[in-house]
Amino acid sequence: MNFLAPAAFAFAAAIPVVVVFYLLKRKRVVRLVSSTLLWQQFLAETQASSPFQKLRKNWLLILQIILLLLAVLALARPYFAARTLPAQLRVVILDTSASMQATDETPSRFEKARAEALKWVDGLANNDQMVVLVAGANTEVKQSATSEKAALRRALQACACSDGPTRLVAALRMAESLVRDQRGAEIHLFSDGAVPDLSEFDNKALPLIFHRVGKDSNNVGITALDVRANPEDAHQRAIYASVANFSSNNVQTELELHLDGRLVETRPLNIPAGETSPQVFLASQANDAVFTLRLTVKDDLAADNEASIVSLLPKPVKTLLVTKGNRLLEKALRAASNVQLAVASDMTDPATDFDFVVLDGISPSVWPKGNVLAIHVVNTNWTPEFTQIDGPPIVDWRAAHPLLRYAGFDNVQIAESFGAKCPSWAVSLVDSPQAPLILAGDLGRQRIIWIGFDVLESNWPLRVSFPIFVANAVEWLNPANAKGGQLLVKAGEAFRMGLGRAEKEAQVTLPDGQVKKLPIDSTANELVFGETYKQGIYHLRMGTNETVFCVDLLDAVESNIKPRDELRLGDYTRIAATTRQRTNMELWRSIAGAGLLVLLFEWWYYHRRTA
Amino acid sequence: MPSSLLSAELLRRLEQFQLLAARRAKSSAKGERRSRARGQSVEFADYRTYVHGDDFRYLDWSLYGRLERLFLKLYEEERELPVRIFLDVSESMSFGTPRKFDFARQVAAALGYVALCGFDRVSVIAFPAASGDPNLDSTVLARELAARAALRSVRGRKSAMQFFENLAALRAGGAANLNDALRRGALEARQAGLAVVISDFLDPAGYEPGLNALIGRGFQIDVIQVLSPEELAPTNFGDLRLVDSETGATQEVTFGRHRMRAYQQTVQNFVQRLREHCRTRGINFFNVSSDVSLEQLLLKQLRKAQVWG
Repeated sequence: MNFLAPAAFAFAAAIPVVVVFYLLKRKRVVRLVSSTLLWQQFLAETQASSPFQKLRKNWLLILQIILLLLAVLALARPYFAARTLPAQLRVVILDTSASMQATDETPSRFEKARAEALKWVDGLANNDQMVVLVAGANTEVKQSATSEKAALRRALQACACSDGPTRLVAALRMAESLVRDQRGAEIHLFSDGAVPDLSEFDNKALPLIFHRVGKDSNNVGITALDVRANPEDAHQRAIYASVANFSSNNVQTELELHLDGRLVETRPLNIPAGETSPQVFLASQANDAVFTLRLTVKDDLAADNEASIVSLLPKPVKTLLVTKGNRLLEKALRAASNVQLAVASDMTDPATDFDFVVLDGISPSVWPKGNVLAIHVVNTNWTPEFTQIDGPPIVDWRAAHPLLRYAGFDNVQIAESFGAKCPSWAVSLVDSPQAPLILAGDLGRQRIIWIGFDVLESNWPLRVSFPIFVANAVEWLNPANAKGGQLLVKAGEAFRMGLGRAEKEAQVTLPDGQVKKLPIDSTANELVFGETYKQGIYHLRMGTNETVFCVDLLDAVESNIKPRDELRLGDYTRIAATTRQRTNMELWRSIAGAGLLVLLFEWWYYHRRTA
Repeated sequence: MPSSLLSAELLRRLEQFQLLAARRAKSSAKGERRSRARGQSVEFADYRTYVHGDDFRYLDWSLYGRLERLFLKLYEEERELPVRIFLDVSESMSFGTPRKFDFARQVAAALGYVALCGFDRVSVIAFPAASGDPNLDSTVLARELAARAALRSVRGRKSAMQFFENLAALRAGGAANLNDALRRGALEARQAGLAVVISDFLDPAGYEPGLNALIGRGFQIDVIQVLSPEELAPTNFGDLRLVDSETGATQEVTFGRHRMRAYQQTVQNFVQRLREHCRTRGINFFNVSSDVSLEQLLLKQLRKAQVWG
């Protein structure tokens, strides 16, 4: 046994003070009695004459000296150091993701993990150093390497749990860089193990120690949410949601749909263990509104029982078709829902008034700034090399892409086409053996679909897939859809919004009513708001405009709160949850507890003596 | 004959008793006790030779017929038994619930009444002497002094009521000096008789010299020690400064329930010392708490010990 603060033994000098207290006279109650003769004899018989004997027989004094000794011993902070090897650097990673809010541990997994981490701080030997990292949606260094325990404790106390997913890769990457070339260094991860893929660290011999928290997996959560126009009735909105049951029992609950805080529909759910229940709600809305889905079940994790989404009313898609004349294309565009089509033969301005532009075989003098469907045109800004291919056969197409939904390329023949090497910003949708024939992707903030061949030089317009593809393209290129997507961000991810006019300041009201002010740089063309740690509805006010956006967890990995016994780093490396406890088990708490018991016993003894 | 000290029923039962004296009465006054003196009674004692001037009525004529010599028949003279009751009326006797003093007075009254019924002379010696309390009405003091004087010698059953009233007029107060009172009582007595000492015996000076003086004078002694329930099992706990009611001396003591047994052992030791002292000197000893029933003491304990019968 060693002592962390041996100087505290100086407090033993207080023992004589206790003795002095016993030399002081007590305040006594005066009582008149018939005679003191019997009392004198009583005292003579029960008390001894030697003062030393008197002191030794006083149990109260002995109790107090024991109490004082215990206090001095506690202050000296004895500990047993033999339990673990000393490490020179310890990197503590505290998981602050949503799953750590689970209440299967008391009061929560996060608090338990923090308490466990604090014990490790207590057990830090004098020369050892510790780093505190927080792994939530973002990785944050809460405390750089230090051996100062007070600073480490403060750093851990300042950590808070978020509603976001775990981005453990970044945290481990940072911890790895910290422990690199440090002998005996350790990384202590305090988590429930609900983390995404860590295969990057396979075979890296990471000195990782996994401290698992959590006991149960009693959770039902909303794992997906989307809102679209009802395909069967354009005036209605369809809300798609997935509710997953991660517990080991069937769960009966109710799913409520709220429109701007007003209850619209309640639906009873019975979800078997481990199953996911897809749900579709239909609702009408008169204005842009927020739909909120709420599960009434009481489970261990509340963060995923509610999810909100902004639903914008569909607006006409302003489309400019630049063509020398293509009735099939024009017809296909007009057939797509909600399209307001304008046809021109050339472009002289960037066409900022239109939602997107269709270039049909015409290289415009001024290229559009917005989204583009380019057919049989060459733009070297998009891809530097174009080749001419005669009669390219179609060998493959990416059926999973939203643009090719229900649109197959069977029996499509093409007379000739441009071939382009697939650039980094795009993916190839339709391939010939020589080169991709259709590309799609985002170049900066511009969405581009490039079709290498003239559709009139093929039999594609005669196939049913052509109007379907055009309808998909209208949907994909419509910036309002992209904007709608922007208004739903996952917890911990940044909310981004393009700035139309120069504003000096923006205000964001958080779900808990807190207001954050954001100064805006006059040259900035995008607003980024990163404090999306809590799920709920956020209100952004810029000048007179107010934008509502929603922050949701919607993460099946986080909602599955089953504590993992091991962490998998790729196929070969597994880190089992440790059973190791903190080092340097300090004894002062036990001693102080014993002191308290002695104090209580002394109190009881005194009152028994004098009562 | 009802009394404030004793109930009529108790008095009626006490009338059946007579004090039993182991020794012959030495009093000079006539009474109902056998004595060594010769006189007139029905109990034959002895013969003696006739001398000139003797009363012819006591000649034994049948003996003269056989022996032709004159003998006189002698009879035992019956004398009274002087009963001296030493009653402790010190301040310490005024403690306890019920008061030790009240209990002691009742015992004295009962003893006195039995003695008076047996035509014995009763003296009650209340000690210490009455003190002049400045707060006290002078008439009360005068009444007490008169009562004390009247109690020095009482005789005859007729005097019983007056005897009770005088006892009731006594007050407790002052510091007891047991030895002094007993010694003086022994010296003052013209004839030894029965001495009953009723006290708590809580005198720092002890009790041995006083009792020895009575024995030396030839008294037959009964000792009745009266203690209060509070003295047997105190109810004051904590850090105490105890003040002696008689001497004013203080004693600091820390007392709790867990020390009760040790205290009671001390009391037992004290009582046992007194009991042993009495036993070795042929003294009847009784220890009573002031809360026991009077009948228990009078009708059972005293009778069993053959104080009366």
